[in-house]
Amino acid sequence: MKRDMNFIGHSKIFFTISLCIILIGIVCNIIFGATLDIQFKGGTIITYGFVGEVDENALKDTIQGATPDNNVTFTITRDILNNTEDEDAYAIQIQFSGEEAIETADQQAITDALTEAFPDNGFVYQEASSVEASMGLKFLLKCLVAVAIASVLMVLYVTIRFKRIGGLSAGVMALVALFHDVAMIYFMYVIFRMPIDSNFIAVVLMILGYSLNDTIVIYDRVREERRVMGPKADLADVFNHSASSVFSRTIATSITTLVAIATVYVVAVIFSLDSVQSFALPMMIGVVSGCYSSLCIAGPLWVFWNKRKQSS
Amino acid sequence: MKRIPKPVFFIVAILILVFACTAFFGVKYYDGDVQHTVIKGLSDIRWGIDIRGGVEATFKPAGEVDATDEQLDSAKSIIETRMVSSGITDYELYVDYGSDRIIVRYPWKEDETEFDPVAAIDELAATAHLSFRNSDGEELMDGSSVQSAQAGVNTESGSSSEYLVLLDLTDEGADLFASITEEYLNQTIAIYMDDIELSAPTVQSVISDGSAQITGDFTAEEAVQLANQINGGALPFDLETASFGSVSATLGQNSLIAMGYAAIIAFVLIALFMILRYRVPGFVAVIALIGQLALSVAAVSRYFNVFNSFTMTLPGIAGIILSVGMGVDANIITAERIKEEFRSGKTLDSAIERGTKNSLSAIIDGNMTVVIVSIILLLVFGPSNILSVIFGQSTTGTIYAFGYTLLVGVISNFIMGVWLSRTMLKSIAGVGFLRKKWLFGGAGK
Repeated sequence: MKRDMNFIGHSKIFFTISLCIILIGIVCNIIFGATLDIQFKGGTIITYGFVGEVDENALKDTIQGATPDNNVTFTITRDILNNTEDEDAYAIQIQFSGEEAIETADQQAITDALTEAFPDNGFVYQEASSVEASMGLKFLLKCLVAVAIASVLMVLYVTIRFKRIGGLSAGVMALVALFHDVAMIYFMYVIFRMPIDSNFIAVVLMILGYSLNDTIVIYDRVREERRVMGPKADLADVFNHSASSVFSRTIATSITTLVAIATVYVVAVIFSLDSVQSFALPMMIGVVSGCYSSLCIAGPLWVFWNKRKQSS
Repeated sequence: MKRIPKPVFFIVAILILVFACTAFFGVKYYDGDVQHTVIKGLSDIRWGIDIRGGVEATFKPAGEVDATDEQLDSAKSIIETRMVSSGITDYELYVDYGSDRIIVRYPWKEDETEFDPVAAIDELAATAHLSFRNSDGEELMDGSSVQSAQAGVNTESGSSSEYLVLLDLTDEGADLFASITEEYLNQTIAIYMDDIELSAPTVQSVISDGSAQITGDFTAEEAVQLANQINGGALPFDLETASFGSVSATLGQNSLIAMGYAAIIAFVLIALFMILRYRVPGFVAVIALIGQLALSVAAVSRYFNVFNSFTMTLPGIAGIILSVGMGVDANIITAERIKEEFRSGKTLDSAIERGTKNSLSAIIDGNMTVVIVSIILLLVFGPSNILSVIFGQSTTGTIYAFGYTLLVGVISNFIMGVWLSRTMLKSIAGVGFLRKKWLFGGAGK
């Protein structure tokens, strides 16, 4: 018989670690603030591809000259995929300061100005994204409401299915673990200064499902061991034994998921697909957090709640 | 344990692999140069504009105009007519009446090399020019003479009711139309929107009261559409672009190839992990995973014709990744449980029996919560759009694909990862030379 791991005994350490990360996140949030992607706050980004060297000051003057009414900033990144033998390829992202959509005529003016001023660099229009502020905000709110509805229903499901091990306490603690994971993903966005976009929503949704699955697998074992070990057994022992039994499953599943997402991430880095990268990285954080929160947050909290109820 | 006959494993495995091949590659044959698609494969999936490249635009009435639903429908039918006439059939177009928005999404055309999305969007939203022309193409009257048009039913013509379009002309229009109908009596006058011919009715009588009827073999839908199109030429507002986005096709194509590589590499790594760690149950799990993946692909490529047309986006791929993760997890939970049963001294048969039985509740509860998430996403972001009362029609979008692939993936997981995987495992456990505990996760030889 393997010795059980002591999750409950070390819970103070786990809680401290989580609280520290959350604290750092909140501090960063206050200092940097969270940035919303133009999908949500409105605004315009236009991307062009070009090859060879360009004088950045001349570039700035050209773009600004084409749209005198808007204040524009831009960033230039290497585009490894489209390199030719002689020249390096680049992508330039032009961001408009306002939070309203621009006129298509403005965009046309920039395209014309760029191709005229730098004929040798082969400026090609790649993509554009322009969103009205009010529509973006509506979409964000709708996403949040969808997440809230899904969370309430999931807690309800857990409460009903795990009536035998405290029902509501199991559901609420699973929800605390979910908040923990969402907070981790959110702070990751804040700390790395990534704008919150629809990928964020998709990652949060995925991690909600993934983390709750982790918690449920452990609860399921607790429900079973409680029957085997009898109602007299100490809850801390029941949990430690259950968590230890499913530990190898938790690790194996987390590893396979991490490997799959890491593969996606590495391929996205090689192909420099920003949208996929900004999707895969927070997902990896979420998988680790989801696995950790089920074992080290939801479980111990559930034990403490039910022990207090027993003693009162 | 209730024994399952040995051949079952091979039959199920072969069926899964055959199904997977047809789902991935499709079934096609060539009749000369013409390709016939019997079953749709990976290459027939309709990719969203975030993958294939394309245009997305939202239009709204310019200025502080509160457009009526009928006016928005007219504006929509203008855009629709223009898209169809320029050969774009693969589009999504809908109206948000609450916020007066018209949203359109469409991918690049296949053979498009030089395409200017800005010009294309401007063209779609341009004010429609309605004109009445004679058979030589000479313009006789324009849309400003039309007060309104509406579809109606002619009940006078006796036995069968006939759909028609009623034209109501302005005062000046009525005078002009009277002289036109007099000149072109018994000839055709074509109605054009921009350069697209909408209808070419024959003048049957001189119309002087400013109220004309266009008859023909209209269905109810055709009559409504023509009325909308004619009204579009007399809209009291211009459309302006509220938002637009476009993704170039090369960027989209590259991300598709990259995701393809990632999928293959990730699958090989997971397969290696499963087989090395769990041996026979791991091997069975890999076959079940192929089946699950094939079912997911079949559901988005319209392998089964019962599903509606579906557009696959990047979040949709994420949904497949999560559901495959859940599928791997279901098999890991079972295999780990069988290992545990061996540790407590069970024989091969009873370890498999108890292991599969005891792990079932965890798998069902875990997957059910994911089903809840996916159904909420489908309801909120799909066609039913249950929150549209609060947030409006325009807020659907790519997250719908995530919910769809996730739901399909989890259902596939119940079929492949739970039911068929277990059937195969119990069947293969009867094969003589494999009946060794260590091959199923037991300790030592």
